[in-house]
Amino acid sequence: MAFSLKEWVFTTDHKRIGVLYLIGALAAFAVAGIMAMLMRIELHSPGPDLTSNPNDYNVWLYFHGAAMILGFQIPALLGYLANYCVPLMIGARDVAFPRLNAFSVWLFFGGIVMALLTFVVPDPPDIMWTGYPPYSIKTAGNTAFYTFTVLLIGFSSILGGINFLTTVVYLRAPGLGWNQLNIFVWSIVAAFVIQLIFVPVLGVAVTMLSLDKYLGTHFFNPANGGDVLIYQNLFWFYSHPAVYVILLPFIGITFDIIATFARNRVFNYKAAVYGGIGGVLLLSGEVWVHHLYTAGMPDWLRLGQMVSTLLISVPVGLLMISLLGTLYRGSISFRTPNLYALAVNFTFLIGGLTGIPLAMAPLDLNLSDTYFIPGHFHYVMAVSGTFAIFGAIYYLFPKMTGRMYSEVLGWTGFILTFIGINLVFFPMMIAGLYGMPRRYFDYEQFPQVAGLQLFMSLGSVVILLGAIVILWSWIHGLLKGAKAPDNPWGSKSLEWTTQSPPPPGNWVEVPKLSPDWGPYAYGK
Amino acid sequence: MPRNTVESSLAPEVEHFALHWETSVWPLVLGVGVLLVLPLPFSFHFVYQQSFLAVLCLGVGVPLTVVAIAGWVNEGLAGHGEGLSTPAMGWFILAEALLFLGFFAAYWVIRLSAPAWPPAGSVPMPTVIPAVMTVLLVSSSFTYYAAEAAHEKGRDDGFRAWLGVSIALGAAFVGLSAYEWSDLMGQGFSIGTNAFGTSFYSITGFHASHVVVGLGVFLAILLPALGGRTSAGLIKAGGIYWHFVDIVWLFVVSQVYFL
Amino acid sequence: MLRRFWWLLCLWCAPLQAAEPSDPARGWDRLWHEYLIDVGIIFVVFAALGAYFMLRYRRRLPDEVGDGPKLTPLACVAWAVIPAFVFIADDFYLAARSWQLWNVYRDVPADRLEVKLESAAWRWDFTYPNGVQVTNELRVPAGKPVMLRMTSADYVHSFYLPDFRVKEDSMPGRVTYLWFYPRNPGEYLATCAEFCGMMHSKMTGKVIAMPPGDFAAWYAEEEKKLAEAKAKKPGG
Ligand code: HEA
Ligand code: HEA
Ligand code: CUA
Ligand SMILES: [Cu+2]
Repeated sequence: MAFSLKEWVFTTDHKRIGVLYLIGALAAFAVAGIMAMLMRIELHSPGPDLTSNPNDYNVWLYFHGAAMILGFQIPALLGYLANYCVPLMIGARDVAFPRLNAFSVWLFFGGIVMALLTFVVPDPPDIMWTGYPPYSIKTAGNTAFYTFTVLLIGFSSILGGINFLTTVVYLRAPGLGWNQLNIFVWSIVAAFVIQLIFVPVLGVAVTMLSLDKYLGTHFFNPANGGDVLIYQNLFWFYSHPAVYVILLPFIGITFDIIATFARNRVFNYKAAVYGGIGGVLLLSGEVWVHHLYTAGMPDWLRLGQMVSTLLISVPVGLLMISLLGTLYRGSISFRTPNLYALAVNFTFLIGGLTGIPLAMAPLDLNLSDTYFIPGHFHYVMAVSGTFAIFGAIYYLFPKMTGRMYSEVLGWTGFILTFIGINLVFFPMMIAGLYGMPRRYFDYEQFPQVAGLQLFMSLGSVVILLGAIVILWSWIHGLLKGAKAPDNPWGSKSLEWTTQSPPPPGNWVEVPKLSPDWGPYAYGK
Repeated sequence: MPRNTVESSLAPEVEHFALHWETSVWPLVLGVGVLLVLPLPFSFHFVYQQSFLAVLCLGVGVPLTVVAIAGWVNEGLAGHGEGLSTPAMGWFILAEALLFLGFFAAYWVIRLSAPAWPPAGSVPMPTVIPAVMTVLLVSSSFTYYAAEAAHEKGRDDGFRAWLGVSIALGAAFVGLSAYEWSDLMGQGFSIGTNAFGTSFYSITGFHASHVVVGLGVFLAILLPALGGRTSAGLIKAGGIYWHFVDIVWLFVVSQVYFL
Repeated sequence: MLRRFWWLLCLWCAPLQAAEPSDPARGWDRLWHEYLIDVGIIFVVFAALGAYFMLRYRRRLPDEVGDGPKLTPLACVAWAVIPAFVFIADDFYLAARSWQLWNVYRDVPADRLEVKLESAAWRWDFTYPNGVQVTNELRVPAGKPVMLRMTSADYVHSFYLPDFRVKEDSMPGRVTYLWFYPRNPGEYLATCAEFCGMMHSKMTGKVIAMPPGDFAAWYAEEEKKLAEAKAKKPGG
């Protein structure tokens, strides 16, 4: 079929919408990553280096955090991967509301536009991705752009949630029961339930922020009866569950990749789905105060939520057991997608286990808002999440493009990034133990971390090299790759039963499923 | 439940999907419209004091949005209906309910931690107007129900008439709301007066905006219906939304006005 | 109430609780080491298992498929419930230890120096009980617990003493507190840990712990100066 721009821009097809999401998300990743490089250059030594204006640094950091989470991870997982995989995995021809789906992607692009305007308007936002008042209300920076970025992307995600939950409930192929779903589909269901419940609350919080700033209301103004902590509570009431919105799909796709490349059934599927994913879903809404341990919350709230936060290790631990168990007696092939998926097992272990001291309230009183926190969340989100997304892109590459990527480039990119991220994000935690606070433009009062900071800056160059190789491997595969077969990995999952790339409507005839069919039914 | 829609409608499905890539211009147009109606004018006006540019954005954006919605509804009515709108509306209501919950949570935190309520600077709340508004909105739910019933029985005239009445009731509600706002502001009680003004105007305003959206949905049902084109799914979903907005109003009126 | 409960949760780890941590810094360091050991074991078990499986079960023939065990219903439940209980037990243990240290953080010794702190962009203003005010440099007597009652004039800030392992936000419209125990004379860094704009990273101060005698002298001297200043400005 010849390329037609109109069929891409006006498309309502879930695969193409997925690709549009991917393009937007990768653009956000690249720009936010370049901001990270600027930050690393600035931080390579104490004192001003790249800029002498702290505000520049604050704007980079604002953009880096907001764009990585709102513009890259959530859209890549809930936009790109959900769109591309879910209908194919459940044997549907499209989502329930294709036009609504297209509207979602354009709202997301609207959010990206608002975010990118940061770089061209006077007084860009400088309020960090958390946007705490009263600073965000009193600053000269443009808080409205932050509000609207969040609202547009948030609303896009709510519409996506409506769409995908309806799709999974009503459009599964005949005979596809709940216990035969791919783990990824389950994780998307759970993630969207979280989005539907919690995004509106974030929307309220950021709306109040702009009302306070531009219309003179007093939600967060203690002088007039407001309370600054209302914002923090509403914000984290969403933004903690948001980390599980990221975690669940990235673990979900990791399951699918590992099962495919180990050609093995998922170990204890039901424990992973009902105990792991379900448990995370249940606990996600009642732990937000662990971000407010230092904010003077009542003791009973801090301690109660400390226990529930620690208990999240139980469902997550069940997921880890199932992941490792899937390797047991498998037949593991080390293709590039699997390298990423296997690495997630390791990086997420570090990230998750460094969340434990943060959950322990008194330990967090020292660690909170130090570099230990970026250390923790880069491992658990920036590294594990991104690895899962990159693994998924390699995994789906043949299906999406009809071509194979080069395994040599894939391996090289992986090795570079894997080394790089450990060089950057492990020292962060050590710097945090020295007491260095985060969001510091300059750290002259901490000469003892200067060496570590330089080390991290050098490490970030290795990540950049890796990222360039990865990007190159995709472009190379797209242009020069060998033609891909329909099912290069020998996967049992439904998405590999159609052509590469799939035609409009996904299958000419939707496959008929026998009762003992399963996406992981390898072996006996 | 229509679990096996895919199989039961295989032949038209294949025809519908497999021959070409489905497209629609309206989602993109609506996306641009939204950008021009809310974020950009707000930023131009409030952040950069460029009211002319703000008006310009609105001038382009509002027609664009209206056209996009019209086109979308038109397409929806013409084609392969998106027949699952009722369950989807359930999910949407869940999200909406949480929105209001967020506002109410903030309201109660502020109110319960205040030394005195209503705080200094507030004016006595009217009681007659909100009572009338309540009657209007509740009866509009019943009239809409009557419209739905008429539509089910195939009585198109009755359907259009009841729908028209519902729209009139809703519009009267919005009108009264605007009247009351201007009255209160005339007495010097504005959104910036104190924490009560903040909560009052943001919650009632937020609710009123939902009524306006509901009226928009009703118009999107009524206008094609005048030409004899209706969609049962849309009518049902619109009704659920309207009843939800109605119920939220009961919370608003009881907690913000009378409590 | 809370304190009565924690030991119920961890009766079985009684030997570890031999010495009550006496101040936040010491308690923190000890709990941190316990955490490292506890979680270190978990890390090694999971990482080693993963590495072993990767080596042992790598694909040898192109057409090979895995034959992971198909669990019986009983095994399914066991594989969920038993690990869950192990994890829960460990969580409760960590929670109980945290609970214990939390009480140290929150219960300020009665024999203390109480200072008021008001933060503002971008400085720390301290007020002593006798009305003496200083900015950024807090002088305290070594060997006596110090408590800060904090609020903020503008943004949210967070007063952080890395050496004493304590930090708490200061906010407009609310009063928060923290305490620390400067055992030895010396200068300790105080720095802002909550983002507060341009000069966030420059919002630093010092805690100067002085020998008690020196402190008393300094304190009396400042009080005298304050009184003189007041006397000079009648009505002021
Ligand atoms: C994908 C994102 C993601 C994920 C999955 C997590 C997972 C967890 N996070 Fe993290 N977190 C963030 C992203 C994420 N976090 C971000 C972005 C921030 C900073 C926000 C900001 O301020 O800017 C943050 C901050 C943050 C804080 C606040 C710190 C502070 O600001 O003071 C806390 C405190 O409790 C915390 C805890 C945890 C815990 C307990 C988990 C748990 O879910 C981890 C569970 C996993 C494991 C425990 C490992 C596997 C389990 C086993 C091997 C079983 C056995 C283990 C035991 C029995 C212990 N995180
Ligand atoms: C998914 C989320 C994510 C990801 C992937 C990253 C990735 C990276 N992050 Fe970031 N980070 C956050 C989320 C993330 N981060 C958040 C939420 C914060 C907190 C914000 C806040 O405090 O409010 C933060 C904060 C943060 C800090 C703390 C700053 C401070 O507190 O003062 C630092 C410091 O080093 C940092 C560094 C990095 C680096 C070096 C990378 C690298 O891994 C980046 C690698 C990527 C690239 C290098 C881009 C590659 C580009 C291409 C391949 C395209 C090339 C194209 C052209 C040249 C045209 N991040
Ligand atoms: Cu004060 Cu940061
Ligand atoms: Cu959290």
